[in-house]
Amino acid sequence: MEQKKTFYHEFEVFSKRTPSSSFQHQFSLLAPNAEMAMVMAQENFMRREPVADIWVIQREHIRGLSKEEKTALNRLDNKDYREMKGYGYLKKKWRFYQQKMFDEKEILSWSGGNKHD
Amino acid sequence: MSVLEKELNEHEKLEQFIARIEAGDKIEADDWMPEEYRMALIKLISMHGISEIMGALPEKEWVPKAPSLRRKLGIMAKVQDEMGHGQLLLRVAEDLLKPYGKDRGDLMMDLFSGKLKFHNVFHMPAKTWADAGVIGWLVDGAAIITQTNMLNSSYGPYSRALHRICAEEVFHAHHGESIIMALAEGTEEQRNMLQESLNGWWEALLMFFGPASSTTTGSSKQDVTIKYKIRTSTNEELRQSFFTKYIPRIQSLGLTIPDPTFRFDEEQQLWIYQQPDWTKFKQIITNNGPRSQARLNLRRVSYETNAWVRDALSAVSN
Repeated sequence: MEQKKTFYHEFEVFSKRTPSSSFQHQFSLLAPNAEMAMVMAQENFMRREPVADIWVIQREHIRGLSKEEKTALNRLDNKDYREMKGYGYLKKKWRFYQQKMFDEKEILSWSGGNKHD
Repeated sequence: MSVLEKELNEHEKLEQFIARIEAGDKIEADDWMPEEYRMALIKLISMHGISEIMGALPEKEWVPKAPSLRRKLGIMAKVQDEMGHGQLLLRVAEDLLKPYGKDRGDLMMDLFSGKLKFHNVFHMPAKTWADAGVIGWLVDGAAIITQTNMLNSSYGPYSRALHRICAEEVFHAHHGESIIMALAEGTEEQRNMLQESLNGWWEALLMFFGPASSTTTGSSKQDVTIKYKIRTSTNEELRQSFFTKYIPRIQSLGLTIPDPTFRFDEEQQLWIYQQPDWTKFKQIITNNGPRSQARLNLRRVSYETNAWVRDALSAVSN
């Protein structure tokens, strides 16, 4: 792709706070190349907060959505078979069988390891 | 352009736009926006951005003269933050300027030619260490009031920039308080220096919020920015809010407000104060303040001296 010869290229900056967190968009900056963008990203956005990793991406390499495409993102409210709320009735059923529902909170709490109490 | 968009005329687009703002939706850089909105944002944000950069200059003068290593590190960090804020805000302004084919270089040129103005307070001298403290305490305090007023701005990129900026401004306020607290609890000479600094900055602080209405200086952007939900309060409301928050603190340190007519009117629930000289305000912001030309020159020289770096790096980048 033919590029305008300029000092100012737009970069979008993403970073994550800790090794286990996800990347988050920070802001954009101007830099002549990716190396300078990386230095600028740290100077501009990471002076205090802890940071575990950084991405810089030239803005023109990002494929975003047009205004029309965005309108197609609206969700129809007919997908409860994909969601927890479509199965909420189970709680009552399990209660009938004198059992507790394994809800999201309960299931995710198993990450601490399974022990017999 | 899509078929859908072609079908909407300007009036319908404007109606949709206003409905989005009213609903609390955020406008993004590549969304359609009325020219008046774009122009108001460009004026406001480029002025804000360039003021951050020019605002670092009076404080930077105190980096080599700070009274201890810790103070030096603190004020250096603050100067760097201000430059960082300038970077953020210029980015926001540049994206708005795109349809006009303009960029950061053009904003710099506008600054040098006097077309782009910077805040009145940054045309003033910082003569003493107390001035460095008062800038952090009260000038930044005033800036926090105007900036938090726009945190929920209808323009998404500006709102996001302000959230980053205001978080750091809290540090600046504490940094300024730390300096003035040491002086307020210090020797008589130090207390006098602090009082003199307050006397010197008082008028500039009043001016900082701008005139109450456009009748004072002939122009004011506040009506347009409120209409489009870029900000919520008027200049005068912000000035009054500054008084309410800061006057008790100033007085608690034994400092005197340098205006014998200054008082709180219980009936009107308003602070009554001597108006600053708005003619002088106009002179200052048109680059005829005490330090306007010196600071512009500093910026100009560094821009010109570093031109070769921009040339060299733009030649090799792909």
